[in-house]
Amino acid sequence: MSETRRRTNRGPLENPEAQRNGVAGHSGDTGDEDEDAPRAAGSSGMTEEDDDDPAERRQLRHQYRELINSVQQNREDILSPTNNKLTEVLEEANRLFVNVRQTREAALDAQFLVLATDLGKEKANQLHADGSAFDPSAYAEHLLSFMGLNRLEEAEDSDEEGASSGYLPQDAWRKLAKRAENCFRTTPSFHFMLGSFLAEPPPPRQRVERQRRAPVKEAKRIMPTQLKKMEESHQEATEKEVERILGYLQSYHTDDPTSPISYYEFVTDPTSFSRTVENIFHVSFLIRDGMAKIYQDRDKLPCIGTKDMSSPVPEGEAEGSSSRQQCVISISPRSWKEIIEVFGIKEPMISAPNSATFAGSQ
Amino acid sequence: TCQRKYNFLMEEDEDVSFTQPSSSQLQRGLDRLTPAQVDRKVAEVVQFILIKDQKKVPIKRADIVKNVIKEYKNIYPEIIKRANMKFEKVFGFQLVEVDPKNHAYILVNKLEQNPRQPAVMSPGHPKTGLLFVILSVIFMKGGVVKEPVVWNTLKKLRVDQGEKHEEFGDVKKLVTEEFVRQRYLEYTRIPHTEPLEHEFRWGVRAEKEVDKMKMLEFVSQVHDQEPQTWTKQYKEAMAAKGGSSRS
Repeated sequence: MSETRRRTNRGPLENPEAQRNGVAGHSGDTGDEDEDAPRAAGSSGMTEEDDDDPAERRQLRHQYRELINSVQQNREDILSPTNNKLTEVLEEANRLFVNVRQTREAALDAQFLVLATDLGKEKANQLHADGSAFDPSAYAEHLLSFMGLNRLEEAEDSDEEGASSGYLPQDAWRKLAKRAENCFRTTPSFHFMLGSFLAEPPPPRQRVERQRRAPVKEAKRIMPTQLKKMEESHQEATEKEVERILGYLQSYHTDDPTSPISYYEFVTDPTSFSRTVENIFHVSFLIRDGMAKIYQDRDKLPCIGTKDMSSPVPEGEAEGSSSRQQCVISISPRSWKEIIEVFGIKEPMISAPNSATFAGSQ
Repeated sequence: TCQRKYNFLMEEDEDVSFTQPSSSQLQRGLDRLTPAQVDRKVAEVVQFILIKDQKKVPIKRADIVKNVIKEYKNIYPEIIKRANMKFEKVFGFQLVEVDPKNHAYILVNKLEQNPRQPAVMSPGHPKTGLLFVILSVIFMKGGVVKEPVVWNTLKKLRVDQGEKHEEFGDVKKLVTEEFVRQRYLEYTRIPHTEPLEHEFRWGVRAEKEVDKMKMLEFVSQVHDQEPQTWTKQYKEAMAAKGGSSRS
């Protein structure tokens, strides 16, 4: 068959007879390829080297395979009665055939021919049918329209090659299915009319719950940590202060064990009212914890001392930490000033926390 | 894994031990049982088949015998006959044997559909649309198409056998396995092809279930043509219509 085709298509070329003989000769002998050279030399101007060049051979086989692939892929297109693609493809193969020298390539050519004749047969069938031929490509396009394809606005692109661009709406297939169902005499499937207890609601509920819980948890988590931090820092600061003040108290006492320390003198800071209040606050912790105690001296003025101080037990005070008496101390800026005047307090006995001077003897 | 278990159950038990009882054996078997017993067995078979039909996969005789009929095996033909009568009279269905070798049945709807009241409750399962496209292409192309024809058409509809589809998932599996198992399609090898090629045809279930004239009407509608435009297919649809309106 390749021979016949070659004969018809090689008409314009020189020495068609010589070429035919060349092929006949080739099939007879078993491998001396140099004989093929003169056959082709005249018509296509090729040299001996081309015949033996494996790269060229490979290239040719590759081209054939590509052609075959392309025909298989675009089968529908080629079959479409609206174009001459089949003829074009045949012409392309003819062009390739000019360079065929070896059996391998000829075999590919034969494979292509099988494909092409198959398509030719189908196209012929289309002609035979009374009425229109059915074109699946066109059918697909019509279906897209039916399914409600949203065509994007773009320039005219209406050649047969281009597929419709655009996107199908969500319910496209359902819409088609609804219409198609009419054509099926399917038996309705058995199902419980009132549904079974494998109901759907639970999953969404869980999801909702989880979503709701998450933010709450996080919020809660944030709150406590912050608070804790504050509290801790607050507590720590307080504790540190209290300890520091205890330190002062003890050091004053060791310096001068006999003389009592006036409470007001101890807590008052003549430079800062707020510091004074803080000192009173911190001292109250000491007393609460039993590290220090307040007692009245001979003049009924309050004094402060540490627990283990050997101090004269004033009247009315009970030994032991079991007895606790509470009192509320209030102080206003006015009375603070009075205290400073009355007691003649020049310097604070408890220095401010930032200044690390550990006042020694008073 | 659930699907695999299901497949396994479907594939088990060859029908080796089953032999058709003779008519005398049958009669003797019936005599030994009360009518109530037989009726109940028939009802069980009917229910079994109805539920198995959900998947639209043919129901094997072996399964029916093993799970329902059991010791009533000797009167099997009578039970099946009565079950079929029930299907026809009560539901408007027909029990059709689609596999004479392996003895499998499908249920077919004998009733004409009222277009205003679709028989199927579900609101248009997308798979039906996909199946319809494939069946209609095969029908319009004369009953047989080579595999690439189907895929090329589907590709234009944005369904690609190589990609996971939003609605259909693994399309190749759906088309070449599920639809085939349900007997909607036949997917056969073309001999002597290299590389291997396949063809698609209508399956037995499609033959029984699809109304060709209605299909042609829809195809014509989307083409904005009259059904008579496709003379060969029109003739075929008319013939099928004549044939099916026998009941």
